[in-house]
Amino acid sequence: MQGSELTRAKVRSALVFLAPMLLALALAAGWPLGRTLWFAFTDASLTDNGYSFIGFENFWNSEWGGLLEDGNWWQAVGNTLYFTFVSVALETVLGVGIALALDVPFRGRAIVRAAVLIPWAIPTVVSAKMWGWMLHDQFGLINDLGMSLGLLDQPVAWMANSATALTAIVAVDVWKTTPFMALLVLAALQMLPRDIYEAARIDGIHPVRVFFRVTLPLIRPALMVAVIFRGLDALRAFDLMYAMTANNESTMTMSVFARQQLVDFQDVGYGSAAAALLFVMVAVLTAAVLTLGRVRLTGGAR
Amino acid sequence: MARTVTTNRKLVFTVIGWAIGLTLFFPILWTFLTSFKTEGEAIATPPSFLFFDWTLENYLTVNDRSDYFRHAINSVVISLGSTALGLLVAIPAAWSMAFTPTKRTKDILMWMLSTKMLPAVGVLVPITLIFRDTGLMDTRTGLVIVLMLMNLPIIVWMLFTYFKEIPGEILEAARMDGATLGKEIIYVLAPMAVPGIASTLLLNIILAWNEAFWTVLLTTNNAAPLTAMIAQYSSPEGLFWSKLSAASMLAIAPILVMGWFSQKQLVRGLTFGAVK
Repeated sequence: MQGSELTRAKVRSALVFLAPMLLALALAAGWPLGRTLWFAFTDASLTDNGYSFIGFENFWNSEWGGLLEDGNWWQAVGNTLYFTFVSVALETVLGVGIALALDVPFRGRAIVRAAVLIPWAIPTVVSAKMWGWMLHDQFGLINDLGMSLGLLDQPVAWMANSATALTAIVAVDVWKTTPFMALLVLAALQMLPRDIYEAARIDGIHPVRVFFRVTLPLIRPALMVAVIFRGLDALRAFDLMYAMTANNESTMTMSVFARQQLVDFQDVGYGSAAAALLFVMVAVLTAAVLTLGRVRLTGGAR
Repeated sequence: MARTVTTNRKLVFTVIGWAIGLTLFFPILWTFLTSFKTEGEAIATPPSFLFFDWTLENYLTVNDRSDYFRHAINSVVISLGSTALGLLVAIPAAWSMAFTPTKRTKDILMWMLSTKMLPAVGVLVPITLIFRDTGLMDTRTGLVIVLMLMNLPIIVWMLFTYFKEIPGEILEAARMDGATLGKEIIYVLAPMAVPGIASTLLLNIILAWNEAFWTVLLTTNNAAPLTAMIAQYSSPEGLFWSKLSAASMLAIAPILVMGWFSQKQLVRGLTFGAVK
């Protein structure tokens, strides 16, 4: 009797402790999101106070097409998907490579590890400006190095050229985020039992084979978590593109597109529709990953 | 023979390791060097690495013209304020989830993490409207609130993973000895929770310091922190690469110092506790 009384009191106080956080998150995420979803079905604009419900017209209509017939939106979708796939793939491969290199003890490893962390710890806008400077067509270091090493015939206008701008942005993201992958993989590597390697070495198995047959399968769960996190993050990418090329169509992601509609064109209804589609896409992918892949996102907690 | 092989291998690994470190660090080094050049030297071909006339002029110009200190103070106020407010809300929540887990605890954690997946543009207009209607636009108070809310999931999550590691048996023992709830918290739990709270605090300051979506979109001038200053940095008279580099160095210097002392916490927090 006394025990259950005590338990109930504990549960009650636990709820009191939780309430502020739940309330804050509901206010920060739930309510604004709900409003965005509502705006997506209206013709609201920031310049005009009145608005009305127009159903799915922002998404598709026979008059001016809507989002689904907007070439710019499709380009933004394409850019986002290209950016996500290419950058996450490169970051995964390079991250595993770097993790393997940093897993071996060598002199100054602690310093190197800290240095590797820096690109990832500094603000993205600063990285964007730094790289904007290094990629400058006339005075940038990249063109200068490329020419003196004979890799480039003539200076390339990296950010102005629509063919190279997105590639350059992918490169900057790879520079910034590969350390994240490397550190996650490194942590997984360091938890592997060393005697497996001993056994493989004594059996005279080639290191490459050991990597594909032993190491990779063992670190796969950790690697999957990292890839999923990065992938979901990349789908929302905004600050790198916005800081490097502003509203340039050739690098515009879905987030940048939505911001332009919402802020520059003050077209709340249309922009909200674009934001809503992005949200739905991320939400569906998250749910799919969580259920189908049965990946334990909370794996670190144990 | 065997020994030469291992020494050689060791040398190879050392070279590879340092090559990776230097390559990744190079852009920051280059910005650092550019920040000490005159604008003319910054665009010289071929670029000079060390042999130029080092000057502090850019740092002085940035400070004069862009009002570095005002932006820096905004950054400090916003990151410390949102962190303090966030801890105030997050500590009780993480505490109760770690020590009084119910059937719903897991659901709450998942729901909380999923809000972190939310694209920021998805809530941009409603939040802008709230700011406009309440007069929070371009105020530090507004940014403190928004950044606190944005980072709340990660703070709660991190604290939860730390608190979970505090063994429950110690609480039992304290209770057996007749400790009241208040005493239990002050003498037993608090000392064990301090390291976790300190790590979370450091990480959150860095996250708030780096934030650029909301700080750019919700400020114009008064409340703009360093990230907003960098994002909008331009110079009225043509070339500004060395000045931009100096401004960038000034914006990341505090992070580099803090990051150095909190490497482990940074990794743990940014990977949602997956790496310890």
